[in-house]
Amino acid sequence: MLQVQNIEKYYGSKNNVTKALDRVSFDVEAGEFLAIMGASGSGKTTLLNCISTIDTISAGEILLDGVSIAGLSEGELAKFRRERLGFVFQDFNLLDTLTIEENIGLALSLNHQDPGTVQNRVREVAGKLGITDVLTKFPYQVSGGQKQRTAVARAMVAGQSLLLADEPTGALDSKASKNLLEIMTAMNRGLGATILMVTHDAYSASYAKRVLFLKDGRVFNELLRGERGRPVFYHEILDVLAALGGDVSDVI
Amino acid sequence: MFWPRWGVMSVTLSELSLRNAKRQARDYLVYFVTVVMAAALLYSFNGLVFSQEIITLSKGISVLPLMIVLASVVVVCVFGWLVAYATRFMLLRRGRELGLYLLIGLENRQLARLFFLENLAVGGCALVLGTALGGLLYQAFRAIVLALFGQPYAFSFGFSLPALGLTVLYFALIYLFALRRSRKYIRRANIHDLIYVDRANEGMVIQTGTVRRWMFSFSIVLGVAGTCLLMAGGAILGVIGAGCVIAFLFGFFLSFASGVPAFFDRRPARKYRGQSLLVFRTLTAKLATMGVLMATISMIFTATLISEGSGLVFRGLFAGRAAESACFDLYIGAAGDGPVSRDYFDFIQDNISVERELHYCVYQAEDSRVMDYVERMGEDYHRYFDRDPVLRYSDYAALRAIAGYPPVELKPGEYLIHCRAYLEKHLTGYTQPISLGGASLIPGGVHAEHLLQNYDTGNGARYILVVPDEAAEGLPVFHHAYAAKTAQPVAESQFDLLCDINYRLGEQNLLEPSYDEIHTRASEKAEEAAQTVLVVFPLFYLALALTMTAATILTIQQLSETERYRQQFQLLQKLGMDRREMAKALGRQFTIYYVLPAVPPVLIGIPFILHLSRAPEPGVMVGMNSPGAIAAISLGIFFLIYAIYILLAYTSLRRNVLPQ
Repeated sequence: MLQVQNIEKYYGSKNNVTKALDRVSFDVEAGEFLAIMGASGSGKTTLLNCISTIDTISAGEILLDGVSIAGLSEGELAKFRRERLGFVFQDFNLLDTLTIEENIGLALSLNHQDPGTVQNRVREVAGKLGITDVLTKFPYQVSGGQKQRTAVARAMVAGQSLLLADEPTGALDSKASKNLLEIMTAMNRGLGATILMVTHDAYSASYAKRVLFLKDGRVFNELLRGERGRPVFYHEILDVLAALGGDVSDVI
Repeated sequence: MFWPRWGVMSVTLSELSLRNAKRQARDYLVYFVTVVMAAALLYSFNGLVFSQEIITLSKGISVLPLMIVLASVVVVCVFGWLVAYATRFMLLRRGRELGLYLLIGLENRQLARLFFLENLAVGGCALVLGTALGGLLYQAFRAIVLALFGQPYAFSFGFSLPALGLTVLYFALIYLFALRRSRKYIRRANIHDLIYVDRANEGMVIQTGTVRRWMFSFSIVLGVAGTCLLMAGGAILGVIGAGCVIAFLFGFFLSFASGVPAFFDRRPARKYRGQSLLVFRTLTAKLATMGVLMATISMIFTATLISEGSGLVFRGLFAGRAAESACFDLYIGAAGDGPVSRDYFDFIQDNISVERELHYCVYQAEDSRVMDYVERMGEDYHRYFDRDPVLRYSDYAALRAIAGYPPVELKPGEYLIHCRAYLEKHLTGYTQPISLGGASLIPGGVHAEHLLQNYDTGNGARYILVVPDEAAEGLPVFHHAYAAKTAQPVAESQFDLLCDINYRLGEQNLLEPSYDEIHTRASEKAEEAAQTVLVVFPLFYLALALTMTAATILTIQQLSETERYRQQFQLLQKLGMDRREMAKALGRQFTIYYVLPAVPPVLIGIPFILHLSRAPEPGVMVGMNSPGAIAAISLGIFFLIYAIYILLAYTSLRRNVLPQ
């Protein structure tokens, strides 16, 4: 579904160049749940921003269903974001002026869906995510976990095929994190959603089917969960992180 | 057309924008109020442009529409800058929200259009409210103008379609200019720049100590030189002076903002004393990136003070001159030593109803001892004559009656002095006798009402000696004169015909044309009113627009930090700072923030105003129009408007950021 081929990303001016991504390549299959891990500054958020078209790449190519996203026009890019892409931020990025229901429905309205369909879809997704009770409330009236589930609902409501999540549990307590990760797993398994999640939390990453480790902008290692249980996979992730050289306490 | 809607959930992007606008109302209310006031100002002045009632008050104000349109062009540019700045500022503050719209599928051009329409709606609301307010403001201006021309005022709330049309045109220009830049920015912006706009690096500040010190010192030199050049007068020196002052302001603020941290770094004891650390760090964080803006604001404040001061100087000049020249309903002073022409009296007899009149002479004394004394007093005195001017007591008494002054007594063996007010203090101290025809007269008192003493064919050379009639017998005549009290004010058309006679008589002597002095109370008052309306109104219009613009920008900069300050004070509360200390720190920081950009304008503007108000001839700028009073009033007006904005910002910030 998604092919990342030798992408590079440089920041800074002529005299002070920082290489954020260095020839990163990997593929993501449809219906896969992939976690990207790494210490701060390893390039994981930059990678996610490049895939989500928030940022541009300096070299290489990103193909979605065989189509290079770099070659898309402004209109095609907007359509791509509306129809194919869902994005979840660490700090939710909900609009304070909209209710939970309206926040979820906003993306659909941009897709020119008819009002009846919008409401039905919003209710349906909200039901699956357990936020039906708070639909009429505003973001400041609900908990962090509910806000993040709203962000996930907004990212999936238009039938987007690729969910990109940047530290989705970063601002949540352990209970809300667990709840969110279970919901994302259910969406991946039950609805076939393709999920690409950036995290530095080994516990969150253990919910994925595959984990890519980045270090200094390069892919350092890759870990497949296979048929192993989640607790076992969690410890394997910790082992890799230890080998990565970072302090384990930094990434738990 | 892009207007997505889902009726059941009843929210559209236009409604979304409206909600966003409402949410930001707290921070940007001051800006909105200023835009409303801008519309009100533009509409009310346009009302004057299209008012037949005003334009036909006097021939003298026929060019008023042109003057106001010229001032409006400058005001439109000033407000255009304000709207452009505020729009850009809000755009960057909302970067994350706008970036999110792009991320969920809105196209750049759609987002640009959304932002454009959102701001246009705000502008439209301001225009509607401003026009209504402008209608009332126009009534105030109308009342002032009518009062200046001595006409009765009656409230009549009318609506001027041409004035509205011109206001809409000005507003369209302001918003098209302002929004064109934002539109361009949004159309080119990528999601990353918008979403992470709050993480953008701060602007470059001058780091090198040597460069900073050099720039600071050089800017001070330029500031002093520029102020001196401005005061020296003249077009070329004025332009060079203005250039120096602008360079000073930019140099000063760029070097000052980056110099404060260095100052405290070298003096750690001062940094950690009391609340200095908190106040200075909060301020320098703001000032370091606001050097150019602070300089611009300071420049605007300088222009404001100079506009206000110049307006007051001109008003004082016109009023001072008119007060002296308008003391008689009708006055004719003959040029040369011949009598006042019979042609005038024929005209007056046929056209003007005279209640009381006087034909009289101004005589020459035997010497100039009083004039010598006045010159020695050091006043800026221009010597018109070689001898002291003299008036007979009976003529003087009649003149006082014609002018409406109470009678004064002249005892035998005495003389009186009647002078311009500014000479009174000197001449009261003159105790010497004068000699006329062998008789000696001693001083009997000094009077200083207006008596038309500012022209050489008036009643003396800014002073005149009043002597018993018999003492003036045989004295040579300076000139003849005629003064009258009329039943009705002399009309503008009658004054024009008298001037025609004067011109005709003057041209009769082809070799050396000479003209008589003609003054009527009505024409002098009308001229004063016309000059005031033509010069003072546009200057104050401009000053008001400039102050509002600069104060608004400072205030939105300050209020936009509300959330950051609130978090900061919450943290300080946790660290043990009590509310009183926090209020004190906030107050100190607030004071420095608002006082700093006002200091250079005061240092530049006040010497300039003092110098300008000393330029007119002596005796004009007195009382409330004296240089000191004008400087004080200019500062008062400036700080009054500024204080409104400061108070608004301070109460809002104090209420929202200090923990309860």
